Amino acid sequence: MINKFTRMAMAATIGGMLSTAALASDLVITFDDLNPDKKAAYDAAVEAFKAANPDINVTANNGDREAHKDTIRNALQNDAPDVITWYPGNRMAPFVDPGLFMDISDLWASDPNLSANFNAIKPTMSRNGKQWGVPYSYYQWGVYYRKDIYDKLSLSEPKTWDELLGNCDALKEAGVTPFTIGTKYLWTAAGVFDYLNLRTNGYDVHNDLTAGKIKYTDPRIRATFAKWEEMLDRCSFVKTHATMSWQEAISPFANGDAAMYVMGNFSVGQYKDAGLTDEQIDFFQFPEITPGLARAEEAPADAFFIPAKAKNVENAKKFLAFVATPEVQAEWNKTIGQLPPNSAAAINTDDKFIVEGMETLSTAAGLAQFYDRDAPAAMAKAGMEGFQKFMLDPSTLDEVLESLDKVQAEVY
Amino acid sequence: MFPKPVENRSVLVRLLYKLSLPVALFVWLLPLLAIFMTSIRPASDIATGNVFGIPSTFQMLQNYAEVFAKTDALKYLTNTMLIALPTMVVSVALACLTGYALAIYKFKWALPLFFLFVAGNFVPFQILMLPVVDMSNRLEIFNTVPGLVMFHAAFQTGFCTLFMRNFMKALPFELIESARLEGVDEFKIFWHLVLPLVKPAIAALCVLIFTFIWNDFFWATVLLSDDKSLPITVGVRTLNGEFVQQWHLVSAASLLAAVPPVLMFFIMQKHFIAGLTLGATKG
Repeated sequence: MINKFTRMAMAATIGGMLSTAALASDLVITFDDLNPDKKAAYDAAVEAFKAANPDINVTANNGDREAHKDTIRNALQNDAPDVITWYPGNRMAPFVDPGLFMDISDLWASDPNLSANFNAIKPTMSRNGKQWGVPYSYYQWGVYYRKDIYDKLSLSEPKTWDELLGNCDALKEAGVTPFTIGTKYLWTAAGVFDYLNLRTNGYDVHNDLTAGKIKYTDPRIRATFAKWEEMLDRCSFVKTHATMSWQEAISPFANGDAAMYVMGNFSVGQYKDAGLTDEQIDFFQFPEITPGLARAEEAPADAFFIPAKAKNVENAKKFLAFVATPEVQAEWNKTIGQLPPNSAAAINTDDKFIVEGMETLSTAAGLAQFYDRDAPAAMAKAGMEGFQKFMLDPSTLDEVLESLDKVQAEVY
Repeated sequence: MFPKPVENRSVLVRLLYKLSLPVALFVWLLPLLAIFMTSIRPASDIATGNVFGIPSTFQMLQNYAEVFAKTDALKYLTNTMLIALPTMVVSVALACLTGYALAIYKFKWALPLFFLFVAGNFVPFQILMLPVVDMSNRLEIFNTVPGLVMFHAAFQTGFCTLFMRNFMKALPFELIESARLEGVDEFKIFWHLVLPLVKPAIAALCVLIFTFIWNDFFWATVLLSDDKSLPITVGVRTLNGEFVQQWHLVSAASLLAAVPPVLMFFIMQKHFIAGLTLGATKG
């Protein structure tokens, strides 16, 4: 019976291959987000590309985001599409280094739009001095705070670490917990760590840590944890943070028990769902810790890449250049409520968080991709568990750092 | 054999029964009730922590309409049909044939073969995930609906065979013997004599298998990745984004997805109950 099925399946596959081979010019795109808004933005861009290139027969695939993380390696090695989505930064290294992604530096050099309008994110898209992908969206991280509470206590947005600690003292005196956070799913704690490390040591040290070149017991990383301990002590977090998801942690923020939240911009819609208005909430960049350090930001980006085994490279490059245009970037990100990496693209100026985010990211000296993207998966998991443990009991610091060193030695 | 009917028991037992029944029913339906309450809540209730209380506003229509507006719910429902119906037809048809062979023919390996079918039912299918994915990759049927249908049919045929074989075994063998004596062709015996007799079993089996496949989440998640062919159970999940979980919409969509099997159950209720108790009494 298996034999019969095999033959049936083979006949079906061969039939499929014949029917596509008959067409002149193809383009196969694999996208990885089925969420209604994300899907709508992708579908719209593909339709626009089809309209502009009627001679290209476009096959647009779309699948589950988490499943994509598992299937991409197989797809790149065996049945490569012409364009595929993935993450830039260290996360693209496992595919860049074995030669599974195509070097598209020539496209970055020859396309005037790409070479002029993507300066802030270009280093993130580069590895070994070459460019490997084209980003279509990113968003900012930072501190979201209750402006009404700040105003009532006559506090202002802190620019430095001391100002932040001062604000925390005032908030605690007024009976408000300074920060809310939900660490049940761990990654929220990594956001705090990333910022503390970026502000204490700068982008290069942070990048070296997540790339496995610096140990966790390094004195520079210890300095970061010393700041974190100070933050836990003077700017306490809500006590039950280990039992809440990031969405559940909005509750204390919404009902005024907590005043600040280190978060990504995707959270704004949720604050508003919880009944907060634009007048009640605002955003500030994570304050400076080491004076004079170039300001790097957390800005997880999503990008398109061309697999090395792509069959229609010319069409793939055409699509990447198309996605990079200011018009497409503007439209795409307006639909999903994020920021266009293209600095010439229009943004929704009615949304103050988008305006501040654009300002924050386009002037940043470096863009980190978030701890669980910058570090390899196994390292990220152990690291984030360690962060949570440290947050619950800072006296475990040595134990946590030493165990992270062990994991680091195994992973890299 | 049968327990004493409740109405013949003492007053106290009857009273206890009548009191505990609604309680048991409520506890049994509690999860479903919670999902329903979530599905008619506004997102703000969930964001502010009002998860189990009375909804601040009732948004039944908006939420359910949004499910259809935001996802391709209709396409996902159609996809489920395209997976469930062929699987049902293939496995029930195969089971009629295997059941006939195992019940009617007397050959040496009939019993061991039957045990093999039965044993297959006791293998937890999750442990077969990796081999199945690997096999479907090699056959190049990964991420295709026919591929998923084939695996579903293969897994369900074992159970169906067990079911059909026992049912056919219960038929009076004299019927078949006399037909053979009359010189009726073997296939005609199967087609004109046995099949009409096992119609209730076929109907019951169809309902059972349809419901099993409709509710399948595991194999669809494992074997399909393309959004064009996802069934409703997996499609519902797309309402949850990378960060934001829209539980009110997911709840609404889950309840919508449960409607067709429930409807089917009520339409075919007679057969369904008959199917569950088949072979329970031997006349």
